[in-house]
Amino acid sequence: MESRVLRPVLAIYSSIFLLFLYGPMIVLAILSFQSVDGGPQFPIREWSTYWYQHLLGLTETSRVSQLPVGDSLIRSIVLAFMTTVVSTVLGVMSAEAFRIKFKGSGPAFYLIILGMMVPGVLVGLGMALLSNTIGIGRAWWGTSFVLHVVYTYPFAFLVMLAIFNRFDRTVEEAALSLGVSPAQTFRRVTFPIIFPGVLSAMLFSFTLSYDEFSRTLFTAGRDLTLPLSIYGTFSVEIYPNIFAFGVLTTLFSFTLLVVYGLLMKRFTSKAARFKGQEDG
Amino acid sequence: MLTLSRVSRRYGETIALDGVDFVVPENTYMSLLGASGAGKTTLLRLIAGFEEPDQGEISINGERIDGQPTHLRDIGFVFQNFALFPHLTVAQNVAFGLRYRTNAPLTNETEIKDRTEEALELVGLTGFGHRAVSAISGGQRQRVALARTLICEPRIVLLDEPLGALDANLRSRMCDELKAIRERLGVSFLHVTGSETEALTMGDKVAVLANGRIMQTDAPDTLFSHPGNADAARHLNAWNIFDASLCRTSALDGMIAVRFDQMDVSAAGTGPADRPTLAAKYLTGEFNGPTALSFFRADDGTLFQIVDHLSQPRLPDLVEGQRYDLHFPPQALRQFHGAA
Amino acid sequence: MSAFTTETPSEIIHSPAELREKKDRRRAISLLTPGLLWMVLFMVLPMGMVIYVSFWTQTTFSVNSTLTTASWERFLSSSTYLGAIWTTLRIWLIVLIATIVVGYPVALFIGLFVRNKTLQTALLVACVIPFWTSFLIRVIAWRPMLGTEGAINVILLKLGIISEPLTFLLFSEFSVLVGMTQIYCVFMVGPITFMLGRIDVSVIEAARDLGASFGTIFRRIILPLSLPGVMVGSIFVSVMVLGEFATAASLSGRKVNLLGNIIVSQVGSLKWAFAAVAGVVLTIIITAVIALALRLVDLRKEM
Repeated sequence: MESRVLRPVLAIYSSIFLLFLYGPMIVLAILSFQSVDGGPQFPIREWSTYWYQHLLGLTETSRVSQLPVGDSLIRSIVLAFMTTVVSTVLGVMSAEAFRIKFKGSGPAFYLIILGMMVPGVLVGLGMALLSNTIGIGRAWWGTSFVLHVVYTYPFAFLVMLAIFNRFDRTVEEAALSLGVSPAQTFRRVTFPIIFPGVLSAMLFSFTLSYDEFSRTLFTAGRDLTLPLSIYGTFSVEIYPNIFAFGVLTTLFSFTLLVVYGLLMKRFTSKAARFKGQEDG
Repeated sequence: MLTLSRVSRRYGETIALDGVDFVVPENTYMSLLGASGAGKTTLLRLIAGFEEPDQGEISINGERIDGQPTHLRDIGFVFQNFALFPHLTVAQNVAFGLRYRTNAPLTNETEIKDRTEEALELVGLTGFGHRAVSAISGGQRQRVALARTLICEPRIVLLDEPLGALDANLRSRMCDELKAIRERLGVSFLHVTGSETEALTMGDKVAVLANGRIMQTDAPDTLFSHPGNADAARHLNAWNIFDASLCRTSALDGMIAVRFDQMDVSAAGTGPADRPTLAAKYLTGEFNGPTALSFFRADDGTLFQIVDHLSQPRLPDLVEGQRYDLHFPPQALRQFHGAA
Repeated sequence: MSAFTTETPSEIIHSPAELREKKDRRRAISLLTPGLLWMVLFMVLPMGMVIYVSFWTQTTFSVNSTLTTASWERFLSSSTYLGAIWTTLRIWLIVLIATIVVGYPVALFIGLFVRNKTLQTALLVACVIPFWTSFLIRVIAWRPMLGTEGAINVILLKLGIISEPLTFLLFSEFSVLVGMTQIYCVFMVGPITFMLGRIDVSVIEAARDLGASFGTIFRRIILPLSLPGVMVGSIFVSVMVLGEFATAASLSGRKVNLLGNIIVSQVGSLKWAFAAVAGVVLTIIITAVIALALRLVDLRKEM
């Protein structure tokens, strides 16, 4: 009886919650179509795509300086890519190691997990101090990169750990018993089966690194990454061009998500296709 | 010839195998019968090299294989859950070993294709090669697993409860096929099972594994009618095993065993004087189709089972809770020495 | 060694089982070494550096490695910095409670009341989608929402609920709390939903058949089973909120100074030793929080 009342109440509550989650972004998206003379607030004076043009450098010189996103976008993508490769490799290796029972696995587990727990501003500070002391220059591809891996590797590791937990070890044993070496077994059996998990780990690493900011703040040196460029605008007055930028990056992220979805689908469709043949 | 001598394996405090001595001769279908938890699977895993023994030696044709990595042992393994490669088709599963093995992998695609088709034909799956392993039935998966193993021509094939995941109907059919396939190839099979019927049907020889040791290895009929010890007898599920002192008239001692179908029942006090007799209470009966099973409990708590064939009934009408005399011809009895 | 034992099996020094075990262990260690080494070099070492530098001597624009407790004394005697500790703890606690209060009913709905798997996944995805927008953009998106000419004020004015724009909405502790709650809430919803989803519905139905009210079922079954989820979520939210500075920097108008903000501003003015002191204090707080949480939940089992 009570759940008959509770269910709609919770459903309505959850809808309000989603509004709470999406509200600011919706408002931001609306305001990104503000006209030239409009501010970053209501009312919309006139609908226009001026700020998108402004962002892409297509407008005449204006009172608002252009967001320095071009180079930083490329840097962020390269950094995220480097981070993805390294943290996924490390994550797969570590998770593979954890399939073997060994002493000291508990502390090792927590040491890895610590990487996602330690606040970015702390390791960032530590890395900056360290590089100052030993005299290494700070750069996004060096000091920032290693910290990004510290952050994303635990995520990749956890994803792979979950994948290996569900992994049927006997298929590997079957391959070995057919005379196939452990290395070939990994390449021909283990890896293809865990591949969807690897893809997820990569997606995790890429998005986390792409958006990572507090670990980059003290360690990037002179060349800024994309989140740092955005952070730079925090202290000054904001204009709708940053809203337009928010909309565009969101679209970019969705493109990434779609690519991931397509890859996953392509990977799983083979089984489905053969399933279909059973009826025919 | 596969030889195990004094092979032991412990897991912490638990002893799974305790000095197993065991031989699987050439060109033999060997059944290994044991209760669950008796160490059957451990034994197979040690032979295959998925695990290593704590003590003892395992060798094939005199060449020691323990300590060698699995993929160099040249031993086939058929898993209870089949363990097919889910991302590959039936044909790719079967060809897997030929293509990727360390020793002399095949690179000629036509040869691989021919051998694969040959193997699929052997197990009766011609034309199934393009299917995904998720798109075939349990029995077919079992055949794929078998074909995948046999195509590599292993020195011996280990089968870990290969029929366990199949339904009863399929099981009896696969029994015949497994035997026929093995005879055609002339390779030894070591088939592990918990079912005495399966073990007796399949095996040219049957070995009984209990308490981490091989209790007896014999031809099925010999084993069935002449179990060498109480443990072997117990696994056949056809023998009443009891303390000889239960019998009123006989002068026997130690543990003795009498087959279910060789005991007779008379009203209390009317047991023939020339046969060993004991008193027991009738508990209940179980009708199994062509046979009927009656359960009795003796005074010391031992449970007795007596089989009656419907075509030749020999038991009187029994009343639950009533006491009866159970007796048997002296020559039907088997006496075991030493502890049970 | 193994050749030796092969010849004299009676004298077992390394049985095949032991050799295999050794080999496996070696394999595990070699697979794990690069990752652990990375963590030690780029996480443990920098953190050690923070502690070390907090005892260095701070001059106007640089630090030197003469050990002193001067920075610590200054930090602990300054009401501004002690205030930052208090602000950090207060904001953390409020946001933590807010995410639980706001998130739990949503998790309850998705995990327990939605039994259609597709809808369940869709709702979870809907919760995660905002994460595809940059964190900083999500923070800044609250400005046009809460500002004096922001969406909320515009709507409330139009509806005639207020006659003057509410000014406390933006550039206040309130905006920081709202922003953080929105951004971190999903980290609470996720784990709780996961735990609730594992509850066998038949258990609840059986309890209902036995006449238990929803209140009883919630207290006896749902709440205890979802608590590990709350704990995991709390760990996520805590470590993120405690290390925060961007939300406060963007939405508080410098009215809220967290320890993170102190670190950023000190680094900005090259007061490295001082930033390090704030860093150590923050580390101590976070360690205490995580240690407390890990006493209550075994992370390794829940993940």
